[in-house]
Formats: sequence, structure tokens, C-alpha cells
Amino acid sequence: MENQHISSRYDKDLDKLKQRILDMGKQVITQLAEATEALDEFDASEVDRLVAFDRTINGMHQDIYTRSERLIALRQPMALDLRQALSPINIAGELERIGDHAKSTAKRARKLEGHEAGGPARDKIREMSGLVQVMLTDALRAYAESDIALAEDIRARDRQIDQINKDIFAMQIATISEAPQDAETHVHLIVLARGFERVGDHVVNIARHVHQIVTGIDLKATS
Amino acid sequence: MEQSFIEARGANVHYGEKQALFDINLDIEEKRVTALIGPSGCGKSTFLRAINRMNDLIPICRFDGSLQIAGQEVYDPAVDVVALRAQVGMVFQKPNPFPKSIFENVAYGLKIHGMTSSKTEMADRVEWSLKSAGLWDEVADRLEQPGNSLSGGQQQRLCIARTVAVEPKVILMDEPCSALDPIATAKVEDLIDSLRKDFTIVIVTHSMQQAARISQRTAFFHLGKLIEVGDTSDVFTNPREEQTQNYITGRIG
Repeated sequence: MENQHISSRYDKDLDKLKQRILDMGKQVITQLAEATEALDEFDASEVDRLVAFDRTINGMHQDIYTRSERLIALRQPMALDLRQALSPINIAGELERIGDHAKSTAKRARKLEGHEAGGPARDKIREMSGLVQVMLTDALRAYAESDIALAEDIRARDRQIDQINKDIFAMQIATISEAPQDAETHVHLIVLARGFERVGDHVVNIARHVHQIVTGIDLKATS
Repeated sequence: MEQSFIEARGANVHYGEKQALFDINLDIEEKRVTALIGPSGCGKSTFLRAINRMNDLIPICRFDGSLQIAGQEVYDPAVDVVALRAQVGMVFQKPNPFPKSIFENVAYGLKIHGMTSSKTEMADRVEWSLKSAGLWDEVADRLEQPGNSLSGGQQQRLCIARTVAVEPKVILMDEPCSALDPIATAKVEDLIDSLRKDFTIVIVTHSMQQAARISQRTAFFHLGKLIEVGDTSDVFTNPREEQTQNYITGRIG
């Protein structure tokens, strides 16, 4: 852990900003979990609530942006401080995109209501959702604790998500040719899996931001 | 890296028994702005003043080691200190115009160094200097008025005009904007940026933002030692040393 600032107020402002990211992250994880549940147990009012809640997530993103902007203007941070002040903007942006995916998952639950096909793919999608939720939980912990080893581990875990997505795609293409009457349902499942694969990418981006905050090195630029 | 113009090697400065600088090895590049930063008492001003031997004015001050400007040893006993200070000009924290007219302030150095041979040449030189300092348009119609009738920011630019008039190779600046408001500071910073095409500039500043804005190289001093020197963009974004990070981010270290 880095040393404290001479201005204790500055540390408090940074801590508050960090806490808001963690709060937003928790909400997004809950959104993902509940949207995934809606795929199995459809409840129209619950789906409406999930879709509407995305506006709250967007509001949290805007609030974090405003606070980061104010911190930068008032404190004129440098080096590690600058990265700590800028990173909430980037991380909140990734969380906002994950929130969008939770919303689109909930909307797709409406379209899948009453369609039972694609059981094996649904199991795998549930597995993907669980894995990305754990990855996101860990990415937020890596952020909270400036843990770059954990951030690195998350990047490695994303390969598993990518593989499941590929498996689902292959499985659904084969299934569509066998049972073309359920093609629409199978395509929805492909799109859902693709969405969770994108969530994995956003989580990896958060892990990259953590690495950059701590080391000053942008892995995306160096890889 | 550019070719170094000022080279310090194993430079130590003592004030009596107290050592103020410890084994400084620092290369300062030609026609670039180098900022010296660090907390009060870190030795940055002592180092700045060592460059044109201003410390000679303090009887108990002693320098050892090597400090060269363009290959010439500054502390060689044969060096004419007056000539050295014409080559290495200095701008101080508080503007200190002479109690003379604006014109005479700039002409003063030219006269004592016998650098002009006619009144016309003198007038041309004064005009060039005031233009170099970005002050000409503001004072052209009142050159006979006292230098201290100008605003603080104008006075500081007058002092810079006085310094550049004798065409030094190096300009040392010791917190030149600390007594100025933000607008006057911005004008002096803009001036420093334009002067670097002709002069090698070394500036001591307590403002991290100023160092970041105007310098290409930054050297961080702490307790008389040079902790880190590098490109300004690196020092202020990703410093190598934890001590530097603690200082520039205002941390307890």
C-alpha cells in the first residue's frame, strides 16, 4: 500500500471514489446474476425492473465521472495519483458496458419465454455467467487492494470464457441443422453467449486498468 | 539524449561543517529547460547557485568536485567570475529591477561588459532584448520611466530582458514566478518556452505543475542528494524512485 498523502482530505476523496466504484461493481454483479436467473425463471415484472435499473447504473457511471473530473481539477494529481484519479472513469465505463449486457440479457429472456430448446447451451451460459461474476468480483478486489497478481490471473481466466463461447457456437450450429424449427431460440442463445464473452473482455480491461494504476504500464499498449 | 552542456561530476558543497550537496552527477542538456525540484533545504538552489558561482559570495561556502560548462571548468581558479556570470545569467525569485529607467535596466549589462559601440547599436540591442522578453509592446512608448513603475510580472520580464541582453549561454532561474499572479506566471512560462531555442535554462521551482509545464528534463533533489533525473514526462507520470513519487504526489514518505 502506498504512503498516505500529507492532505488527509485527499486520501478521503480518493477512498470515496474507490468505494463508489466498488458499490457500482456490486450492483452490476447482482444485475448479471438476476438477468441470468430470468433466463430460467421468467418473471415479466422482474425483467422490467432489471431493464429499468440500468438507468441507475448509468447514473452511477456519470456520478463517478463527475467526481473524478472534480478531483483532477482541484488536486491536479500526478503520477500514481493521476492514474488513481483517472482509473475510476475507465473502470466505471467498463462496468457500465457490463450493465448494458445485463439489461440486454434480461430483454432476451422475454424473447426466450416459452421456448425450451437448447438445454445444454443454457447450462453452459449459466456456467459462463457464474464465471464472469467471480472474475468481476476478483477484478474489483484486485482494484481495491492494488493486487496485480490477481489482476494477471483474471486475464488468464478469460481464455476459459472464450472457449465456452466457441463451444456453444459450434454446438448451436450443429443443433440448428438437426432441429431447424428451433433455429431462432438457438440463435438467441448464441447471442447471449457472445454477450457473456464480451463481459469477460470488459472484466479483463478492468484487470488491465488495475495493472496500469499500480505499475504505470499499459498492457494493451505493450502487448 | 541530447549532448550535455553543463556537467556536474562528484560535486559537493559545504557551508562550513554542514554538507549541502553530496556527490552530484548531473548532465544538463543544451537549449532545453531543466527543472530542479525538491523540498526546502534539499540543495536544489545550492546547486543552481553553484553553476555561476553565486555561492562564492558566502564566505563559508566550499565547492569540490567538477562542474563544467561547455567543457570549461567553472571552479578553475583562472576563471573570471564576472565574465562567467555574463555567460550564466540569473533571474531571482523577486523581480529586482535597478532603480533606473526601463531602458537603463536593460542597457546596464551591455555597458559594463562594453558590448555595444554606438547609441544606435545600444538602442537596437535593448529593443531586441525587450522583444525577446515579450515586453517590448508594453513598454516601447515609456522606456524612460522607472523600471519599478511596472507591474510585478512586467518587472520580472524586465529582469529577464536584462539577463538576455548580454546573450548568456545559460539562464538560471530561482523560483521566478513565486511572486507573480497566474496571468503573469503564464506569460513568464510562455517566455521561458520561447527562450529555450537560444538559451540553456535551469529553473528551480516549488510548483510541480510549473516544472511539468515548462521543462523537458526534471531533476529531483532530497537531503542534498540527486535522487532522480529524467525526461519530465516520465518523472511526472511514472517516476523510477519511490521518494520522487512521494514528493510529487504530496505523500508522507
